[in-house]
Amino acid sequence: MQTFIKKITGFMLLGASISPVVAQKKTAYDMMVNGVKVIVQPSGNEIVQILTVFKGGVQNYSADKAGIENLAITALTECGTKNDSKNSFKNKLEKISTEIEGTAGMDFSTLTLNCINTDLDQAWPLYEDALTIPVFDSSEFSRIKQVAITGLKSQASRPDFAISKFSKETAFKGKDYAKSPTGEEVTVSSLSATETKNYYTSILTRSRMLIVVVAELERDKIEKMVKELTASVPEGKKIELKRYNYIPAGNSFAEQKKAVATNYIQGITSGPQPGSTEYNAFSIAMDIFYDRQYLEVRVHNGLSYAPQVGFSGGLTPYTIFRVSTTKPDNYIQVINKLVDKTHAEGFSPEEVKNSKTGYVTKFYYRMETNAAQASSLAANEILFNDWHRSLRINEDFKKVNTEEVNKAFNNYVKDVNWVYQGDTSKVNPALYSAEPSKNKLPDNKISNGNKN
Amino acid sequence: MGSFAQARLPENYYWEKLPNGLEVVIIENDKVPLATIEIAVKNGAFTEDSNYNGLSHLFEHMFFKANKDYPDQEKFQKRTQELGAILNGSTGDERVNYFFTFDKDSLNQGLEFLNSAIRFPIYRTEDMQKERPVVDGEFQRAESNPEYVLYFACSKKLWGSLYTRKNGIGIHEVINTATPEKMMVIKNKYYYPNNSILVICGDVKHENAFAQARKIFGSWERSGFDPITKYPIPEFSPLASTEYFVMESTLAQTPVEMFWWQGPDTRMDSAGTIAADVFFTILELNSSKWQQALLDKGLASSIDATYVTERYVGPINIEIEPNPGKLKECNDEMLNQIKQWGNDDYFTDEQLKNAKEIIHRNAIRKREKPSSQASILTKSWCSSSLDYMTDYEKNCDKITREDIKLFVNKYITGKPYIAGMIINPDMNKKLNASGIFKPAI
Repeated sequence: MQTFIKKITGFMLLGASISPVVAQKKTAYDMMVNGVKVIVQPSGNEIVQILTVFKGGVQNYSADKAGIENLAITALTECGTKNDSKNSFKNKLEKISTEIEGTAGMDFSTLTLNCINTDLDQAWPLYEDALTIPVFDSSEFSRIKQVAITGLKSQASRPDFAISKFSKETAFKGKDYAKSPTGEEVTVSSLSATETKNYYTSILTRSRMLIVVVAELERDKIEKMVKELTASVPEGKKIELKRYNYIPAGNSFAEQKKAVATNYIQGITSGPQPGSTEYNAFSIAMDIFYDRQYLEVRVHNGLSYAPQVGFSGGLTPYTIFRVSTTKPDNYIQVINKLVDKTHAEGFSPEEVKNSKTGYVTKFYYRMETNAAQASSLAANEILFNDWHRSLRINEDFKKVNTEEVNKAFNNYVKDVNWVYQGDTSKVNPALYSAEPSKNKLPDNKISNGNKN
Repeated sequence: MGSFAQARLPENYYWEKLPNGLEVVIIENDKVPLATIEIAVKNGAFTEDSNYNGLSHLFEHMFFKANKDYPDQEKFQKRTQELGAILNGSTGDERVNYFFTFDKDSLNQGLEFLNSAIRFPIYRTEDMQKERPVVDGEFQRAESNPEYVLYFACSKKLWGSLYTRKNGIGIHEVINTATPEKMMVIKNKYYYPNNSILVICGDVKHENAFAQARKIFGSWERSGFDPITKYPIPEFSPLASTEYFVMESTLAQTPVEMFWWQGPDTRMDSAGTIAADVFFTILELNSSKWQQALLDKGLASSIDATYVTERYVGPINIEIEPNPGKLKECNDEMLNQIKQWGNDDYFTDEQLKNAKEIIHRNAIRKREKPSSQASILTKSWCSSSLDYMTDYEKNCDKITREDIKLFVNKYITGKPYIAGMIINPDMNKKLNASGIFKPAI
């Protein structure tokens, strides 16, 4: 449903569509340049996507400084460089319709360059300046800080963001994943330009960096560009990323009263570490469980428009269940029953086979854009220390069998940390915090999932 | 190939109109070994009066429920899983579309599946009873978002008694009392090949894809009438006067403002729709007076000015997140800027040139993803034409300063508009937002 009016400006240029001939992919490769790993995927098209990744994410700062990495990465393009004021920098970019954008994440942050290949020679020096000689001009910094604070309030106004934040803060209390990369109003308000600049200087090391290029560029050219980029960047200390296994101590429940038009529920439970033998099997399990939840919660019981199941396979892997519903207690009974049933009966070989077929489609779907490929290569390198996985995941998934899928589900989907925002008079906390087996629905209220 | 006029299309696009009136477009692109199929119907909010508001959307949901070959949703879902399909549908103001992406070798099976769902749906009371709260739940999710609440309030005022024609999500009561009979009314009015377009894109060959489309969809019976002629769309009345309003919501952590005008459409003023796009691209430039006055000076943290291309009066919208500490300055400066939009010196020749370059480069980016090309094409087919889509960049290049002035003077300068703000009660009291948010004297 297109509820909000969105601009549709997708039009095609006569005689300039992508040529099937050049679409043939050349092989991806990596190389070390000045001690920085560079992963290159030739794209076969005229778009250039380059990511510079800074490893660590929320591990890089304490909770009272949450938001500092986001502000630092934003400042690279919004607070000027030694060669250009903010306006001069942005005006040069817009003349060639080039996007340089920073994103702060849970496990790593990125500065992305997206341009048309004929504009790269003009775009690259600006990208290099942003990364290596940003100036953190104090008046521009005040402006972006105000924008960041308004952005936090705007995020908090969105119910899906709010329930997700509340859920992570509750489940990961005291741990790195309780921090939000965009920070809190109080932490962002206290940050100064000098402190943020010093922070950026501390993470701008070759040891933290990874560069991903998805573009049709000669190897020599990429090597030269990265050499220039990294020439002045210090080596820095070797980075060891911390991994944490989240295991809820038992079922739990927390609620917040909120005047929303429906009620929001999110549960968090465990998941396997990237690189573990169960990772791919668990991904398939959650793919199938998504369909099962959809069938039970939406189709059979009409309880929610968009029941979600998601596996976040980062440095702290976890799994979420999320719904919006006017009947929260009905939902918890249906989902608990479904989890119990899946534990008892497992997934069928046919479900596993179909899920693998779906992964083939998703695999190629992701290959359609340079941006999605670059993100996947970066995430696989950071989380698995193996960017090749991004290109062979299709084959890896074919090797997974039903028994492994069932075992992975049983190992990781047990207790759940539930949170709720909405009309608190409509929810019975005891149903959420009790053992699932004590909340059984009559058998006629639950179907056989996809087995019919 | 029928004896119909050939639409102008980009390279690697192939068009055919079947004898039953179904237009078929094949887009060859073998970047990845996938095929995407999409069928779009000229249906949606624009066809809905207050008795049917929200039912094009419910109809779209019911498409995924049951049909003669897959008689319940479990079987429907299982079939999509066997195909490994990524699928969805959407309902907009002027288009309802359904799209599937799967392995290229599954094209025939995918088309058969689509055919069953679009032509032979089954509506059961029990299925509808279960789906109604789902659709209503989608509505409630939107209502939990203050931005939507403000959007909806503005929309009602902008479109007046015909607001249902721009309100695809509908009216709770209409959704909650929908019946199978009402679904059949929609099907019998709009779901015909001569009111639809089929697009097949991806790693396919057009000769083979056309052959399959003819074989599978060739027997779909045409209506014998043009639905949009038989069930005419009433014209929107021009907005009579400017109106400001402030809404309070405890959910709105920071104020949001929207300003709406009735803009051009592709029936009456196609050139105006292109001028609007070029002008709003100029406003997006960092160097523009608009961005410099509002963002660069810290009066707002975000500001988006857009026009939506539609066949029946496209809306012009400014959405702004003002700096809460500078509400009055922001409001005054924004109105000051809008007053100048029609001035000769509001933008430079270089900015006009840069905007056109941006439109070209964005077009390259939009062509990147093969599976999205079908939806881009059907949107144009429903709200403008295939020629409009094909010639779009060329026509943007032709836009002059005079064209933009004409657009601004015809639709914005001195014209009535709707201005709304949503803010939480405490902030409203503290900042006196209701006292500040008003037209300049």
